[in-house]
Amino acid sequence: MLRSNFDLSLSLFVLLLLAVLALLGPVFWPVDPLAISLRETLQAPSLAHPMGTDHIGRDIFARFNYGAKISLTVGIVVVVTGAVVGGAIGLVSGIVGGLLDNALMRFMDAILAFPPLILAMAVTVGLGGGLETAALGIMLTSVPYYARLIRSDVIRIRRLPFVEAAVASGAGITRIIVRHIIPHTVSTLLVQAAALFGYSVLALAALGFVGLGTQVPTPEWGVMITEGLQYALTGQWWIGVFPGFGLLAAVAATSILADKARDLLDPRGQYTQL
Amino acid sequence: MVHSILSRLSGSLAAIIGASAIAFLFLRVLPGNPARLIVGPLASEETLHAQMERMGLHEPIYVQYWRYMRDFVTGDWGFSYGAGQPVLVQFQLRFPASIELGIYAFIFAFLAAVVLALLATYRHRPVMDATVRMLSIFGMGMPPFWLALILLVVFHEALGMFPGPGAQLSRALTPPPEVTRLLTIDALIAGELRTFANAFQHLVLPAIALGMLPFGYLVRLLRANLLDVRNEPFILVVRSKGIGYWAATVRHALPNAFLPTLTASGMIFAQLLGGSVLVEKVFNWPGIGSLVVDSILRKDFAVVQAFIIVSAVLYVFINGLVDLLYGIIDPRVRG
Repeated sequence: MLRSNFDLSLSLFVLLLLAVLALLGPVFWPVDPLAISLRETLQAPSLAHPMGTDHIGRDIFARFNYGAKISLTVGIVVVVTGAVVGGAIGLVSGIVGGLLDNALMRFMDAILAFPPLILAMAVTVGLGGGLETAALGIMLTSVPYYARLIRSDVIRIRRLPFVEAAVASGAGITRIIVRHIIPHTVSTLLVQAAALFGYSVLALAALGFVGLGTQVPTPEWGVMITEGLQYALTGQWWIGVFPGFGLLAAVAATSILADKARDLLDPRGQYTQL
Repeated sequence: MVHSILSRLSGSLAAIIGASAIAFLFLRVLPGNPARLIVGPLASEETLHAQMERMGLHEPIYVQYWRYMRDFVTGDWGFSYGAGQPVLVQFQLRFPASIELGIYAFIFAFLAAVVLALLATYRHRPVMDATVRMLSIFGMGMPPFWLALILLVVFHEALGMFPGPGAQLSRALTPPPEVTRLLTIDALIAGELRTFANAFQHLVLPAIALGMLPFGYLVRLLRANLLDVRNEPFILVVRSKGIGYWAATVRHALPNAFLPTLTASGMIFAQLLGGSVLVEKVFNWPGIGSLVVDSILRKDFAVVQAFIIVSAVLYVFINGLVDLLYGIIDPRVRG
């Protein structure tokens, strides 16, 4: 129990730290992440540049903070929109049932049969590239996960006695859905969203890495890793390594949080905690 | 039995048809006329229409889809105008490297997961258990392309233990005669141990980079299931009959804990065989993943479409195999 609380506080601390860097980074480290300084190229980490500088002398720490802002913002936006769209599809599918349910779920299955990253890339390229379309592409590939989960949850809930009681006491369908079914799916949705946050952040970095999504001067973590790749084998490891630590920290912390939340909601599944 | 096989087959077919139809529709709906890409921006409307006629683009979309699938089944996968080659030829050139890398990555992930899950659940050793948990969380949280970079920096740049990116085999060595087109296996068939060792060395780092994520997932699953099965009464019975800890674990607990892992392994293996877009790029690996990314960037969608169908087929096929394996491991399923 002690250890699980330690995990929890550590991951909360890491997320808080990243959020502080993202929001307040420009305040206490007022260096322009895009400022080129040709006299200070490829410098190793030092007091003046805690994470070193890249091939055109940009300060990696400032870029790291800016990257934290992009990754966390996109992660949150993708997760929220994905949960709303996927949740809505799951809700409709679970409540209406029948032919519509079947059609929607077959469609979700077909999306799941795609290699997810390839689908996100194809959507991004198809819609013209850039950060917003990358976020849209990632969101689309995450929708089926929410939809399937919420659908099975809705089907489970609508058979429970309290829904029956609500029907018996004359509640209308809208009231039952809004007041009785939706509140009971929120916890499931939250856990799934926490788990998919990591996926979204990693997918954005992957799209940036192959040159889709964020465009080059913008300091996004995936783009920074690509830039670091060319210098990794000539000794300047810091360019690509630090942004990866940011990704690792963000994803590992949220996945621990998601696990904890799942344990809390499903006490019987205690043993699956890792 | 026959009924269940039939329903499974029709389900698989539906998944393949669904994925290919969505891919086809989606790639057609995208802005940009494929015929325009071929004739170039300066060509006249007339040339464009002639080209569209030749490609069958004026037909209704379901006719186009039907034609595409019919050609696909007979081996005509379309023509990649970006590379100036038939798509099938490109796949034949690129797939073996991806398959070989995928196999080794899978072996790494699977073996490491089994060994570490056994160690993590051995008696009560909190330190070991916590280490494995950390490894699992890190494995699932690391961007594979970043891990690839770290591995290159540490094991190639700093320690010089493994060769760097850009090749499957040192230039000094001649590739073995092609049989399976998987370098390590061909080298073994030809009996050239030095070539085998060299090709293997080139595979180690990319295989670890690619296998880390599946490893994290599998070790977590297997650990949880092992702990679960170990508390079952039959293990107590086995132990009380005087069978040692390891014999009871390996012979009795492990096979029972394996079933969920096996399902997950099937999906993971299918994905790994399809190549990894990102790791292949870092190691400059001549596989299918880098081909697909380059094709997406070039908007050369014939390749992407074929890749999506091949992935769906692989996915369905390997999951079918796993279902068969289930029957061998778990007699209850045979029924």
